[in-house]
Amino acid sequence: MSQPSDTSEELLSRALAGEAPAFGELVRAQQRSVYSLALRMLGNRQKAEDLAQEVFLQLHRNLAAIESAAHLGFWLRRVTANRAIDRLRREPRAQMLPLEAADGVADEAEGADPLLMRQLRVLVGELPPTPRAVVLLRYQEDLDPTDIARALSMSIHTVKSHLKRSLAALRKGIDAAAQDEVGSST
Amino acid sequence: MSARGHLAMLVPTLVLAARLACAEPPGQLLLPNFDSLTGKSIQSVNITLDSTLLGLAASFLDSSKPDDAATMQVVSGLRGIYVRSYTFNKDFPYPTADVETVRRQLVPPAWQRLVQVHSKEQANVDIYISVDHGRANGLAIISSEPRQFTIVNIVGSIDLKKLHQLEGKFGVPKLQLPDGQ
Amino acid sequence: MSNDLDESLRAALRPVDPGEDLTRKVLAAVEQDSSRPPRGPLPPPGHPGWRWPSAVLAIALLVGLATAYHWQLRRQERGLEARRQLIEALQVTSEKLDLAYRVVNEQEHTENGS
Repeated sequence: MSQPSDTSEELLSRALAGEAPAFGELVRAQQRSVYSLALRMLGNRQKAEDLAQEVFLQLHRNLAAIESAAHLGFWLRRVTANRAIDRLRREPRAQMLPLEAADGVADEAEGADPLLMRQLRVLVGELPPTPRAVVLLRYQEDLDPTDIARALSMSIHTVKSHLKRSLAALRKGIDAAAQDEVGSST
Repeated sequence: MSARGHLAMLVPTLVLAARLACAEPPGQLLLPNFDSLTGKSIQSVNITLDSTLLGLAASFLDSSKPDDAATMQVVSGLRGIYVRSYTFNKDFPYPTADVETVRRQLVPPAWQRLVQVHSKEQANVDIYISVDHGRANGLAIISSEPRQFTIVNIVGSIDLKKLHQLEGKFGVPKLQLPDGQ
Repeated sequence: MSNDLDESLRAALRPVDPGEDLTRKVLAAVEQDSSRPPRGPLPPPGHPGWRWPSAVLAIALLVGLATAYHWQLRRQERGLEARRQLIEALQVTSEKLDLAYRVVNEQEHTENGS
């Protein structure tokens, strides 16, 4: 998650004053986070782009309600996660689709196991919408459980419970994949 | 007669009795369907004014006009007015069975006959009143003349004196009833 | 193991770049979205954003007025017809009461005369 800075605050002030280029800069600064969250929630690049576009349009309409750069970051993640959950609830068939974009969309971290990275993204994509949002906000956006609870309008207890169960499911999935690999190599 | 024959006779009687006992409020008659007479008559009047329509009609009367005010006086307290009247171009084309269906309902103790007249010109008029706990709650008039047959049923508290006040208004003929009757 | 999984998840879920295309699309959409300015909850009076709501409101008002007028007209028709029937019913009633009285009177005269 990009940290608010003086530049972000200044950009926000200029965008609030109605300067279109400043709003463009805000979008550029935040689009990576919004798009990634949408992509990993919806599992489809086109749908993710559409959702990101809607979220930024909503931001433009509600810019007057944004109090600070930190609030802006939180607001964008909250709106993106909730809109994605709503969309998945309206389209139940899309809920369990594996991430179409799981391959080749992320620059893998140096020294990371590409196979494990891919497996984890696929397994996260298979979680139900709400736990998936909780995991993404925690590990992709680095929000703490208190902020996740505020963003998704749930108790901290529920957030922790989702995290615990999701991690157990992911661990189980990785173990099962590892055993398959051992089985196929012997 | 077979059991089925008895049943066939009993069922319509029971249905009629049930309708008479339950469906109609005191003072209201169950009028037969006189559809067959409509074709034979040269003029027919078929008026059904229940309490809702009476209320609506009353709301279109202007109390500042004497005629309308007198009508309002008559209507207040009424719950229905039902009129069936048929005029023919020859004598007695109407079935007496239909008239009898109505007469059979006009029996004591619910109904009391006030007047029964037979004129030389074969005009027969019977007037009945329905009284419950000393209060009139229905009026029935059966008039059978050679070329006209009329049934009037007024439901509710009726004051003939108020009806008398309508004399000469809206074309209502001058009643020759003495005051108070 | 837990920390390993946390770190692996962080590495696997690193944000990805959508490219400059998204910014361009967002700015184009914002420009097209002229019905609302970036500030203020409602457009000012006379703003094009009011055209559709105003038209819908005007149509709804007209339909409402027409329905009310039609209902009032129907009620008046029914009321006048009920009034006509009431007067006719009273006429018939009076005629028959009068007929009964005349017959009684004739009979009395006949009896007195004979």
